Amino acid sequence: MIESFREAFGRALVEIGRENERVVVIDADVKGSTRTVYFEKAFPKRFIQVGISEQDMIGTAAGLAIAGKIPVASAFASFLMRAWEQIRNTVARDNLNVKIVSTHSGFSDHMDGSSHQCLEDIALMRVLPNMRVVVPADAYATRVLLKQIIEIEGPVYMRLGRDYAPRVYNDGEEIVLGRANVLREGEDILLVATGIMVSVALQVADKLREAGISAGVIDVHTIKPFDEDTLLKLAKRVNTVVTLEEHTIYGGLGGAVAEILSEKMPKRVIRIGTTEFGRSSRDYISLLDRYGLTADKVYDKIAGVV
Amino acid sequence: MELSEVLTAKLKEMLKPVNGFHMNSSITCLRIMQAVLEIKKDNDIVIVSKGHSAPAFYVMLWKLGLLTDDELMTFAHIDGLPSHVARGLPFIEVSSGSLGQGLSVANGIALANRIDGKEGRIFVILGDGELDEGQIWEAAMTSAHHKLDNVIAIVDRNFHQLTGGTEEILAKEPLAEKWKAFGWEVREVENDVEKLKKVIMELEKVKGKPKVIIARWVE
Repeated sequence: MIESFREAFGRALVEIGRENERVVVIDADVKGSTRTVYFEKAFPKRFIQVGISEQDMIGTAAGLAIAGKIPVASAFASFLMRAWEQIRNTVARDNLNVKIVSTHSGFSDHMDGSSHQCLEDIALMRVLPNMRVVVPADAYATRVLLKQIIEIEGPVYMRLGRDYAPRVYNDGEEIVLGRANVLREGEDILLVATGIMVSVALQVADKLREAGISAGVIDVHTIKPFDEDTLLKLAKRVNTVVTLEEHTIYGGLGGAVAEILSEKMPKRVIRIGTTEFGRSSRDYISLLDRYGLTADKVYDKIAGVV
Repeated sequence: MELSEVLTAKLKEMLKPVNGFHMNSSITCLRIMQAVLEIKKDNDIVIVSKGHSAPAFYVMLWKLGLLTDDELMTFAHIDGLPSHVARGLPFIEVSSGSLGQGLSVANGIALANRIDGKEGRIFVILGDGELDEGQIWEAAMTSAHHKLDNVIAIVDRNFHQLTGGTEEILAKEPLAEKWKAFGWEVREVENDVEKLKKVIMELEKVKGKPKVIIARWVE
């Protein structure tokens, strides 16, 4: 079953808004694309439009948080990054309770090309003190984790793709912010994935099993703070750890895993992700294929090195 | 000695060990801060967007009895007063130091107050050099669009920025017309405590739009 990240986000926001009157949503003129338009329709007084100005949006969110609101500032991941310095100096430095939810991350805005495809945001957000970084694997995880990030105090960056969200979880399954989910146990190799690559990791694990290789799979939906215990516990059994992300291999999930393992449990780490800017494509899956992020391509890469 | 002379002397004493860190920007900002803090009511908020004028702000806190002589002299020590204003200091709601961000924060507070039906003015102290930052004008549009009449920006119009005169580095004039065109109620006044207070009072009568006072340094 394939659902939509942004649909899940937009609908969950309305549910959350009904329960929590402190939630205010801010938009930089992309409400239709991010689906925060649902929140605007339900709670027009708690929806703030600042126009195409992501930097101003982040500052305005900071003010709302200072005054006791729980602002959710949402826009395309690429263009939220132009407010990185505002996020650093105004939000993270003061540890303000601002929730930044990016949509259209990774290659998911396939049609719009490299300007709109954000492959660096995990790295940029992960380096900021106080900032939590959350990347749900599917629509269900988006809903569950969004509720949790609203409940906690402090800044959070939540990264969503556009529509393509193959189901990883069944309704009711437990997903706890800050705790990686072990989806498969394995003895030969460990696949550590985030976002849509969790679903790919599960497919790859199936293919590896057919080839007689036992692969573990963990979903790191919270990249920061990183659940080191779960990683180390699972990595202990294997010789090779493979990271999978729809993001550059520099400084994202792969970077985080490499940092932890090199310091605490040296292992071979193979990072699967991108090293280039994206390109326009009429079709998302062909784009993932071009950059080596489909199950077949990932399997071939692993089979070639293990 | 007049009060402003006492404050200026204190500022110079405080900044002597740090080679006069942003001395000029602090001196021209002193009277603006004095006017704002003297007029401030409990539910008003002050945002020092030009955070490098922190020394002037500390001198005002000293005058109000909120900092001691010894504390003033801890300026820029590792565990002393931070070189740019930071959240946690009296009256400081948001850390500064990076220019151009204070007006957006003021708008956020004003919008939250509107949702909650709360009163209170939000004063934002801006540098004239700071107006080079594009975010100021993004925020200026937001304030006007949302008719945030509790937002009062005061521009420290001292005609200087880091490496030269403001008109030579990047021309600001015609400054009043720019703010007017962005939908703001504009007043131009000399950088003088009593004159500033009077203008702030007068602006209370203006409803439905944000207000900016361009405080011209004439000495």
